[in-house]
Amino acid sequence: MIILQLLVNGVALGAAYALVALGFVLVLNATSAVNFAQGDLVMAGGLLAVAAAPLLPLPGVLLLPVVMALMAGLGVLLALAAYMPLRRRPPVSVFISTIAVGIILQNGASVLFGPEPRAAPPLFSGGSLSLGGLVVAEQSLAIIAVAGLLIAAQGWLFARTQLGRRLRATAQDPEMARACGVPVTAMILATFALGTAYAGVAGLLLANQFFVAPTAGGDLILKAYIAVTIGGWGSVPGAVAGALVIALFEVGVSSVLSYPVALGALYVTLLLILVARPQGLFGEAARRRA
Amino acid sequence: MRDLRSLGQPLLLASGALALTSYALLYASPYELRVLTVAGVYALAVTGFQIVFGLAGALSLAHGAFFGLGAYATGILGSRYGLGFAATFPLSLLLPLVVALLVGLPVLRLESHYFALATLGVAQVVLLLAVNLPDLTGGANGLPGVPGVVLFGWAVPRGLPLAALVWGMVAFGGLLAWRVARGRLGRALVLVRDDPLAAAALGLDVGRLRLAAFALSAVFAGAAGALSVHTQRVVSPEVLEFPVMVSVLTMAVVGGRGRVAGAILGALLLIHLPEWFRALERSYLIVYGVALLAAVIAAPQGLTGLLDRLLPPRDRAPPRPVPPAEPARSGPGPALVVRGLAKSFGGVRAVDGVSFALEPGAITGLIGPNGSGKTTVINLLSGLERPDAGTVELFGTETAGWRPDRIARAGLARTFQSGALPDGATVLEAVAAARLAEDPGLVPAEAHALWALERLGAGGLAGRLCGDLPAALRRRVELARALARRPGLLLLDEPAAGLTDAEKADLAGHLRAAAAEGTAVLVVEHDMGFLLPLAGRVLCLDQGRLLYEGPPEGVRRDPAVVAAYLGEGTA
Repeated sequence: MIILQLLVNGVALGAAYALVALGFVLVLNATSAVNFAQGDLVMAGGLLAVAAAPLLPLPGVLLLPVVMALMAGLGVLLALAAYMPLRRRPPVSVFISTIAVGIILQNGASVLFGPEPRAAPPLFSGGSLSLGGLVVAEQSLAIIAVAGLLIAAQGWLFARTQLGRRLRATAQDPEMARACGVPVTAMILATFALGTAYAGVAGLLLANQFFVAPTAGGDLILKAYIAVTIGGWGSVPGAVAGALVIALFEVGVSSVLSYPVALGALYVTLLLILVARPQGLFGEAARRRA
Repeated sequence: MRDLRSLGQPLLLASGALALTSYALLYASPYELRVLTVAGVYALAVTGFQIVFGLAGALSLAHGAFFGLGAYATGILGSRYGLGFAATFPLSLLLPLVVALLVGLPVLRLESHYFALATLGVAQVVLLLAVNLPDLTGGANGLPGVPGVVLFGWAVPRGLPLAALVWGMVAFGGLLAWRVARGRLGRALVLVRDDPLAAAALGLDVGRLRLAAFALSAVFAGAAGALSVHTQRVVSPEVLEFPVMVSVLTMAVVGGRGRVAGAILGALLLIHLPEWFRALERSYLIVYGVALLAAVIAAPQGLTGLLDRLLPPRDRAPPRPVPPAEPARSGPGPALVVRGLAKSFGGVRAVDGVSFALEPGAITGLIGPNGSGKTTVINLLSGLERPDAGTVELFGTETAGWRPDRIARAGLARTFQSGALPDGATVLEAVAAARLAEDPGLVPAEAHALWALERLGAGGLAGRLCGDLPAALRRRVELARALARRPGLLLLDEPAAGLTDAEKADLAGHLRAAAAEGTAVLVVEHDMGFLLPLAGRVLCLDQGRLLYEGPPEGVRRDPAVVAAYLGEGTA
């Protein structure tokens, strides 16, 4: 019974992590740029929900579209400020510029909200359900449902729509896509908007049970990174799978030992993976054609 | 006028140092001295970061952790065990050094963003340990009562003496780092940063160089961490948290990547920035973020880069050309013997049981249709790929499976089809890079490089930037780079592509001259008009197998070769 309960908690956490990793990997594929601000964007989404809750007395599930829209706008700003001016520079430039955006977000949040952790409203009532002796937090099930829906929506968007085809073309080969008449710049902005909106939703979902503090971004970007590394650098389904794996690991280990031990074990495992497979678990070594 | 301007930079730096000293001695209040001391601590940490990030190009996010390790070593040993500065300071350098060596060996093999991730993981593990081992570290509250610095029985008081001590260390460390940056190691690191494959092909041990940079930077960070604890007199997990890393990164980028002066300028500026904008209070880190973003976008070379543009540094006097010593190769016999060489890529047999030998002083052509495995053969011989099977004997030594730098040092040189000159380097610097693995310092390396350039009639290019050269001259510089090492075996990948007839004739002359000195030359080429008169012997590959081996006259008449080029049906 306890195992099942942990499983539900783990899958709920993994579903939220999956949104973070998904946004990260979409931007990565479209721009081959590592967006280091992704964790801080999650934090920003969480605090946005905290700030919006008293203004809009709605249940969390109705706050969701508001947070998504605002975060999408923030994503476009991020792309314009930290990616577009640097698109012809070495990749490390974007890495540093997104670190800079992360610093601004984190400390801006700390000035506006103070350093202490805050809780966002639950998606529905915040109670718990009893299913045949199994007591589950309603929020956990709601997280799984919302995240599952959004992940499926992304899959549908990319696989079935004209916009999705253009986004995929941009991700595969921007030069070729441009030659075929795809508005590449608009597609890149759209990818940033989508990735940031998903980060924001993850923030809203996580900030109810786990609270959100301005410094939360560092751990979250590491988890997104680990998920993408485990799932194969650049693989979208892999990122979702990787996120579930690390969440189950985290919930499992912290139930037996403690959360710091789980976190430490996760990082050490990551280091071991990287040492054993320098290109990631499924990644291909990039070779130069000499 | 030019002379005066070229003196500008040293003058400016000297007057800056003078102004700083007189400010500290005459004007600064105790509080301002404390701020200056903190700036010195950061200047030392950033100086170390310039070595690993600026020169070696590795974005290490563990630098803050090394700073914290130095801080905790001093804090724990000083406050819990009552050890003095003479014992704690060296140990505060040793601990980050040991951790850097242990972590660096596996982590430095990683590609750029994986490296950043792995180092961030290391930093988070260290922070978790510091917070969750309260018996050792004092946990989240840290340890109070760390003693001050005691030098030869004299307790250095806070204020001017401590500031002087810290800035003395900055001067010493800065000088050390400046010498590293300007010397052989610095040049080698820059080459490793810009093009690790080319660096390895020139005989540089990429892994060892990166590890050296990582370890050296950790020592600087440890020293800075120790001094920061002596300034604060307490140690807490704050020294391990991300803001320290962020500050160091911002200072390095704003000051100017890879420059010691940039480290000091960046630290002075960003530590004083919140003091000048008191209204910002705790939000000073937002300003850091904005400064970092603005610097990356608008001034990627940082403040020192702007300074370079205003006051261009003095051109150094060109060296005199000196021919490098001819390396001793063991006895007579072929330069290279290859037997049964094979390599597959995911089921495709790129090279399938190739055997041949190359004699010293002979030019051999390697031809074949596109995709026949020519470049793969060169990559296997030079160690960029590991053969699945077969033996490679270079001057009598079995080298199959060796790393490229080791093979290069055994006497092999190669050029790349795509070219591999760093755009931002001068021609002399690019060619001198080929001598870094052999020569003890930069002066002989540049003298030998100039000799190689003059041999190819390119001595006049020495001061030009590689990026400004037209294709034909770039090829010549690449050849000079390969010949500067006086290789016993030279592998050339399509050296005549894009050259005019006159340039091809010139190139053929240089290759004949190299062969006349005893170098074995293997040329991959599509241009038969260039290759067939030049080569004494021709090898023809098709689908990874050797179709033809013999004199160049025979190649056009060989039915198998003709079939390979024109398609099976015509055979």
